[in-house]
Amino acid sequence: MTTETTHKRRERIDRGIKVRSESLYALNSFEEIAYLLTPRVMLIAAFVLMPLILSPWPYWGRVGLSVCILAMLSISFDFLANYVGLVSLGGAFFYGVGGYMAAVLNTELGLPPILSIPVATLLGAAFCTLALLPCLPLRGIYFAIVTLMYPLLMTRIIEAFDILGGTEGFRGIDGFSGFFTEQYGLILAMFIALFGLRRFVNMDGGLVIRAVKDNDQSVRASGISVTWTKAKAVFLASLTGCFAGAYYIHMYSNVGISSFALDLSIMPIAATIIGGAGTLVGPVLGAAILVPLSEFLRDFGSLRIVVYALVLTGFVVFRSEGLMNYMTRKYQQVERWVKI
Amino acid sequence: MLEARAVMVFYENMLALNNVNITCPENGVIGVFGANSAGKSTLMYALSGIILDIQHKEKMRGGERISLFGEVVHDGEDITKLKAHQRARRGLVLCPERRRLFPESSVAENLSIGGHLASRAQAKETFDFVMELFPALKKLTRRAAGFLSGGEQQMVAIGRALMAQPTMLLLDEPLLGLAPSIQHTVVESIPQIRNERGISVIVTEQYARPVIPYVDYAYIVENGSTVMEGTREELLGNPDIKAAYFGCG
Repeated sequence: MTTETTHKRRERIDRGIKVRSESLYALNSFEEIAYLLTPRVMLIAAFVLMPLILSPWPYWGRVGLSVCILAMLSISFDFLANYVGLVSLGGAFFYGVGGYMAAVLNTELGLPPILSIPVATLLGAAFCTLALLPCLPLRGIYFAIVTLMYPLLMTRIIEAFDILGGTEGFRGIDGFSGFFTEQYGLILAMFIALFGLRRFVNMDGGLVIRAVKDNDQSVRASGISVTWTKAKAVFLASLTGCFAGAYYIHMYSNVGISSFALDLSIMPIAATIIGGAGTLVGPVLGAAILVPLSEFLRDFGSLRIVVYALVLTGFVVFRSEGLMNYMTRKYQQVERWVKI
Repeated sequence: MLEARAVMVFYENMLALNNVNITCPENGVIGVFGANSAGKSTLMYALSGIILDIQHKEKMRGGERISLFGEVVHDGEDITKLKAHQRARRGLVLCPERRRLFPESSVAENLSIGGHLASRAQAKETFDFVMELFPALKKLTRRAAGFLSGGEQQMVAIGRALMAQPTMLLLDEPLLGLAPSIQHTVVESIPQIRNERGISVIVTEQYARPVIPYVDYAYIVENGSTVMEGTREELLGNPDIKAAYFGCG
């Protein structure tokens, strides 16, 4: 075969250290432990250092917090869309419900933020799960449409019945005691959501949830209730979303119907696409790019949305795998040309 | 005439097809036999151009890198770079494994999608031919394809491929999951397609016995390489091949 030697192929192989560090014995070697921990430590360090660096500029400190808020909503979206198979446009619903719950608990019952946030998170998630329960058998675009309706519905109900403060919302909600409490509380929660969900999807419970995404009929054949499994997954996702909402209203000391704004459903999708769908870390990365980008572009006025849309379109068309998948591959694999 | 010259396909680092050479003459019926994962479907994708589509999609998704080498020559012209729809317009039509029908469209609609590029007269004439080939479909033209039985679906799939006016039909595992009696109906259509329409056929199958009476020449594929080729008689004369692919020792 004379042609054989002329062929060249680009080969991808796992780095030696990646293969070695997959086994239990990785713990024997400092190098391999470092290899495993470096990306995680870098991410954690970046967020831990962020408040320290930003403390002279409170405005940018708030931008940093917005990154975390969007990151939590995006993690929630990514988990539902890519592990459960429910493409949810209800980010704003989780967020708004959490926000209003916390506001009511704080202003009406007088709970301090340390209590109102966790209670609002739990109650809000329970409320969201119950509200979405009838829609759980839906898939794909149908679920997306229904979840898109929920925040709109909440806005109109609050307006029409003039409940929960009506169009005014609640004001004078307790804030946090200090800059660093505010910053680290949210960063800690974001990491709990991120690493918690990452751990969860690899455990038995997560395995069932991933199976539901792939083939729900086979899951039923294994004697597992699909609706119950989906309900649990929605509860987990809404915990994350409700926490973000509850925390945010305590940061700004007010809540209004803008908590149900459509942006809060759309932005997480953008962050997930840029960061890399199905990675859970990707959305955090995407949020860390999108929020500052949109702040920098504030000077451009309405042109901001053009730049924003171009960045997003560019990612979807040219790098639809997202940043995180790309970076993981580069970190774990090498490429070389081989002759055949 | 269709020729695959030294075709190699890598799915990432896995060699799916290794230096495969296959020739299908004008008006011939060629069989490609092999076990699961032998590379039969990959060969069909490579011949029909679907592989280019899969390659592109995987690249966009950041999935497996598919590397292709070798060339595919159709009627003396190199069509290696042509996309699947361009190859189909040249008459190289794939009837894919597992049928891939449009489940919500009716049988008649499935067939007319296949005949989208054919002239009205051609489509009408081919439609009648398909009904003659598979009389069982006559009563089912208005039924949704997704609700048909496996055998009926396979008939629709072959019919849909025929509607595209092929000169070369690629049948990928047409007998997959069919009862022996239905298998018979399906394979019997192969000589009819060849004789009445002058269409060459390349058919892949795991179990060669039902198909072997109708092929002129066959290739045995194992682990991505053609390990043996020969006429029907030559293959039937080989005891190893008989035991492995014809179910008799």
